[in-house]
Amino acid sequence: MIDALETAERAVAAAEADEAEAVVLVERSGFARFAASEVHQPTLVEDASVSLRVVRDGKVGIAATNDVGDDGLKRLARRAAESADSAPAEESFPGLADPAPLPESGGYDEELAVLGPDDQARLAAAAIDASPFPAYGYLTSGVTRVAVASSRGVRAEQELTDATAVVLAAGEAVSGWAGRTSWSAAGLDPAAVAREAGETAARTRGARGLEPGRYAAVLERYAVAELLLYFSLDSFNGLGLLEERSYFSGRLDERVFDPRISIADDALDPAGLPKAFDFEGVPKRRVEFVESGVVRGVVWDRETAARAGDGQVSTGHAPPPLEREWGPQASALAIAGGEAESVEELAALVGDGVFVTRLHYLGIVDPREGVLTGMTRDGTFRIRNGRLAEPLVNLRFTVSVPDLLREVPGLTREPVVVNASDFYGARYPFGILAPALATASFNVTGTGSAPGI
Amino acid sequence: MRDLCASAVEAALAAGASYADARALVRRNQTVATKNGRVEAVRDVESEGIGVRVLAGGAWGFASDRRLTQAGAAEAAQRAVAFARAAPGSHERRLAEIPPAKGTYRTPLERDPFAVPLDEKVEHCLRAEGALAHPDVKVAQAFVQAQREHKVLVSSDGADVEQELVECGAGIDALAVADGLSQLRSYPSAHSGWSAQAGWEYVESLGLEREAPRVAEQAAALLRADPCPAGRTTVVLDAEQMHLQLHESVGHPIELDRIYGMEAAYAGTSFLSAGDLGSLRYGSEHMNVTADSTMAGGLGTFAFDDEGVPAGRQPIVEAGLLRGFLTSRETAARLGAGVGGSMRADSWSRMPLVRMTNLNLEPGEGTLEDVIGEVDDGLYMETNRSWSIDDKRLNFQFGTQIAWEIKRGRLGRMLRDATYTGITPQFWGSMDAVAGLEAWVVSGLTNCGKGQPGQSAHVSHGAAPARFRDVQVGVRA
Repeated sequence: MIDALETAERAVAAAEADEAEAVVLVERSGFARFAASEVHQPTLVEDASVSLRVVRDGKVGIAATNDVGDDGLKRLARRAAESADSAPAEESFPGLADPAPLPESGGYDEELAVLGPDDQARLAAAAIDASPFPAYGYLTSGVTRVAVASSRGVRAEQELTDATAVVLAAGEAVSGWAGRTSWSAAGLDPAAVAREAGETAARTRGARGLEPGRYAAVLERYAVAELLLYFSLDSFNGLGLLEERSYFSGRLDERVFDPRISIADDALDPAGLPKAFDFEGVPKRRVEFVESGVVRGVVWDRETAARAGDGQVSTGHAPPPLEREWGPQASALAIAGGEAESVEELAALVGDGVFVTRLHYLGIVDPREGVLTGMTRDGTFRIRNGRLAEPLVNLRFTVSVPDLLREVPGLTREPVVVNASDFYGARYPFGILAPALATASFNVTGTGSAPGI
Repeated sequence: MRDLCASAVEAALAAGASYADARALVRRNQTVATKNGRVEAVRDVESEGIGVRVLAGGAWGFASDRRLTQAGAAEAAQRAVAFARAAPGSHERRLAEIPPAKGTYRTPLERDPFAVPLDEKVEHCLRAEGALAHPDVKVAQAFVQAQREHKVLVSSDGADVEQELVECGAGIDALAVADGLSQLRSYPSAHSGWSAQAGWEYVESLGLEREAPRVAEQAAALLRADPCPAGRTTVVLDAEQMHLQLHESVGHPIELDRIYGMEAAYAGTSFLSAGDLGSLRYGSEHMNVTADSTMAGGLGTFAFDDEGVPAGRQPIVEAGLLRGFLTSRETAARLGAGVGGSMRADSWSRMPLVRMTNLNLEPGEGTLEDVIGEVDDGLYMETNRSWSIDDKRLNFQFGTQIAWEIKRGRLGRMLRDATYTGITPQFWGSMDAVAGLEAWVVSGLTNCGKGQPGQSAHVSHGAAPARFRDVQVGVRA
């Protein structure tokens, strides 16, 4: 793998600009995707990309390439300059970041880093072999090098490892799902993932329908993570707040959730997929979104913080250079755990309701109100008398996330990292630390297909 | 690039592959975006590399490398074979026989979008966005984008294909905010506008500046509109929402790899089975759907797909009856029908997957006014806002940015937050009118997700407004 920081420094040196900042992502990854217990989409990737942001007479332009040779970087510098020259000067541009000490963070494991195609195939086989039903899913591991260098003296680099095993154990009228992600090889146990998926699947035969209506519910950590991810896109984002797309607009310091709900972004927590800095080289900081039910804040990058004024500074959440217009993003969501030792305890708290393992295809219906729709799948059950009861068909739900979090009878004690990357584009691992939770209000608006292939 | 691909195929065969193909690709993207009078993004992105796909021991292997060099090609080929050999279990994957693909193709265009100076693109956006000015519009934005993809495919089956695909597109959005409400109105769609395989003339034909005042007015008016009521009623969908409806509830279910479970863990499967071909009633007699990778301007247009299968036009649904699937050489061989033709990869670093090309609902008769005119009481919905569909593509819930009541054949009051929901075959079975060719339009979208690792496909759809009876609307949280 190439040296990310050295490449970033060469890109900055090649820049024809008043100021320049280069972001380099280097990837070596393997993906053993399987269906019906056979690997059908094996993918090995070796890539390195450089994004160069230049400032010329107050004008800003960006260009990117994966040709990291000297000639490639010269062409990159020229295209970045042309981009800048085509734009009017940006009076609100806050300038590039100054260098700052970076926090210590984990996120790299040599044992995981050396996993190669044979290992990835072997680990996929472990999942397939342990599944009591035909297995669908993937095993992936990879190494990502990230570096940011700038003409202002920023020199930030980090090497990250990540691995994820996902198994859908499925057959005729049965399906169960499970996943694990980790930055260390020790956290990787594909066979355990397959067993968990298989155990869920075995309980889904004979799924029944359910009348639409509001139900109490227990959401497994997979479902919690996905709901919060979609809610975060507009609501935990400084740009969303400035543009009044965020549910938090006008609600800062109000109690809007159950006091049991605390949500933060904590990229430094080694239980997640840690990172030390963002894509401007700014150190990561923990940001509280919700403390004991009270709305506290959002994440910022330098540009949105400058626009916000009132003393806001970057929290270390600048997105990748090619995604800047989306605004700063929470990329290490952490939902605090509660008192329950297990999802069974949560079911006992709920008494009568539904149990949801996993969600499918969420859509944002109304960002300002935090309204999402989607389907449950691969492990939906009725809860009766405080216990998991008969399996259910997939449920269509339409929920306001704030309503769902307004009355939360309990959460499991230990949040577990859930992979949040679908691996589009360049690899950059991120996950969500999520517990399972019980809610008093889960709005079922329809039913879909039964479990199974 | 052709020599590199040939070397990679040779290296793969030498390493023991029974089949190999290599795709070398150089891509350039350019995006200009403005927001509230300032330039939000001017960027120019290039990516290049080679992907080598092999069959070894009956199993697939795929490896990619950014280096367009002999070393990069050879190493990718060897790694692909090694990965295939490492695959657990026994495999026997077969490919449908095709004649060796030979040829070149280039998107016909009038003005190369990369020859348009960046400052002209900036000016185009600023003018369009300036025309969105309105006291209630808090965020006005405009963007243009262009992509050129030069790719070469060489296979051990004799494929030798070189193609250059050029596309561009544009769009505008107005976000109106007041009194705790926010409403987004977009043109021509909410999802990165529309794109086409064409030159800059396509962007100019969209008329962003012309449409902007209407878009801004409607965004502001939505703040004062009533919410869409709940109930069952007749719904007329505009062509843009029909594109989304077609995409989600027809395009994805007919992908044969999904039907065979290959996407089960992620994007899902399909309510269809391979045995449904020729017998399943998908919708009403007004439903005629065609997949056409030869359509001028479509984002799914090419001479050969990424397996070297020639482009073609095939019926998918005829008078409501299922007639075709989207296939690969592998899935076609398994089905025992066809030869593939829908395999596309979103980059050099991804394996081709079965993807939509250009999927069209064939036009019916009459105008939009005719379709609305026969509705005594219903809703007209325009421009997709939200979308969700289950893993078998049965239960869907979609929302639009704007709607109007229809009373006695005429549009009435404007409504906000409109949603509708249904079950795919019942919904298409309730379609009793499709407007004619004069109302038929094509759009191209660039964000169709599938696969793990994920891939975003660029696909097009053609449709005219259509009418559906007895639809559940106004789903609430």
